[in-house]
Amino acid sequence: MSHRGTGPVVSFENVSKHYGSLKAVDGLSLELRRGETVALLGPNGAGKSTSLDMLLALRKPTAGTIEMFGQDPYHAVKSGSVGAMLQSGGLMPEVTVGELVALAAGLHPRPVPIATTLRRAGIADIAGQRVDRLSGGQTQRVRFALAIAGECDLIVLDEPTTAMDVETRRRFWSSMKEEVAEGKTLLFATHYLEEADQAADRILVINRGRLLADGTPAEIKQRAGAKRMSFRLPGANESLLVGLPGVVSLETRNDLVQIQTDDSDATLYALLDAGHRPSEIEVGSLGLEQAFLTITAEDDQANGHEPVPVQ
Amino acid sequence: MSGILLLTRAEINRLRRNRRYLLFTVGLPVILYLIIGRQATSKAYGVEFAAYYMVAMATFGAFAGALNGNSIRISEERKVGWIRQLRLTPLPANAYVIAKILTSMATTIPSIVIVLLLGRFYGGVHLAAWQWLVIGVIIWLGSTIFAALAVAVGYRFPPDQVQPITMLLYFAFTILGGIWFPLGGALQTIGKGTPTYEAVKISTDVIGNVSVPYGLVLGLVIWLAIFAGLATLSVRSMAEAV
Repeated sequence: MSHRGTGPVVSFENVSKHYGSLKAVDGLSLELRRGETVALLGPNGAGKSTSLDMLLALRKPTAGTIEMFGQDPYHAVKSGSVGAMLQSGGLMPEVTVGELVALAAGLHPRPVPIATTLRRAGIADIAGQRVDRLSGGQTQRVRFALAIAGECDLIVLDEPTTAMDVETRRRFWSSMKEEVAEGKTLLFATHYLEEADQAADRILVINRGRLLADGTPAEIKQRAGAKRMSFRLPGANESLLVGLPGVVSLETRNDLVQIQTDDSDATLYALLDAGHRPSEIEVGSLGLEQAFLTITAEDDQANGHEPVPVQ
Repeated sequence: MSGILLLTRAEINRLRRNRRYLLFTVGLPVILYLIIGRQATSKAYGVEFAAYYMVAMATFGAFAGALNGNSIRISEERKVGWIRQLRLTPLPANAYVIAKILTSMATTIPSIVIVLLLGRFYGGVHLAAWQWLVIGVIIWLGSTIFAALAVAVGYRFPPDQVQPITMLLYFAFTILGGIWFPLGGALQTIGKGTPTYEAVKISTDVIGNVSVPYGLVLGLVIWLAIFAGLATLSVRSMAEAV
């Protein structure tokens, strides 16, 4: 919103959070700009939740500075500038959904009409139900309603669609787009790569508490640098294929060859020049998932860690 | 401030629907008074038994409500993440605890009033207006000691530990405080220092129209300071673990 000036919405400056010898977040620096939809992507234990907790003043950084709208996180949260939904956030038991949403709106300096919040969160039909008797997906939507019960400039969501089925997830993102269309900044943590790819216009990849990549989904895919190529070649000779220019990795199954290469043209020409005539040639970009795996695996190898499997 | 009052109102609405809470604060003291209040003809702490038992039961409902109603709920609400959720709202960080104590103070009023009315009309206790007011207020303010204790326990321990700890405190302060029966002998020597005993004894002294020893009032203030201090420590040490 215009009254907030033109500085970054969120800035992390060399932020660390250590628990004893464990570096949950390790020198993280980043900035979010107004109106962006940003995905914080990383494997479990990468430091996503800890980073969001520090942003929301639930935890204090061991070192570094975090600012939101030019304020410290606590005062930014207390001014109502942020609507947040955390995985670990719970609901007040023994009240109805409608009562709880009304309470959240009442606590906010700029409340949104309750009917609007109920509709956007898709919970108008369960407004009369008690919150301790909801399904996992319904609970998640009520949590989302609490995050949007007041007019805010930044929405922070930690793994927002966990426990939602496909249809609910789709509805969730369409109501999310309504919020973003109003000019709000959205930051969400996820390990669903597809979600980051579709919903975000910027992706921050973090691993072991550090920022590994920062760019649009297309840039992240490109950053992994590789293309995927497959063809059929009866009697394929692995040592020949590995020797082709640009090949990063190789997989053969019977006569089907799958190659990851950072120069697909050179790889293909060299193969043809060597006199081979492969069939069913396909060349494509890596999906975000492979790009993400490549980026985090490179990081893990560089640091002598076992790669973290993606869920 | 209006946010805290809003939260307090929501908390009161919840408690009103909670049968367990109503049983501890109103049900049990009323039933016990109906059964026992008129049985004994002896005197206790220098006043008619019916008068002693009235203040004992009013203290019982108020302290048990403040303790049981809060400790387990706070622990559970911390576990499910409701305290965390509230921290994301514009409410100040201490609003949750303040609202709990205000709620406790608001909900002990009806339980005290009901037991005092029972004493007047069923137990035949006749007092001057100022005496009714003073004993009501002493018991009411005394219950905040237990609201603070409930915060200290509920904030620090997980629900499965809070349950037995609360029960232990509940029985200790009931029996050693001379709530179910007047204390005598060795038990009185030990029980004299409990806040429940102090609240009951101040009240019976007011009813008997004898001067109240300063030590009793000071005792209540010291208990409040200790438990409020413990509550503050619990809340601070759990600041990053809610």
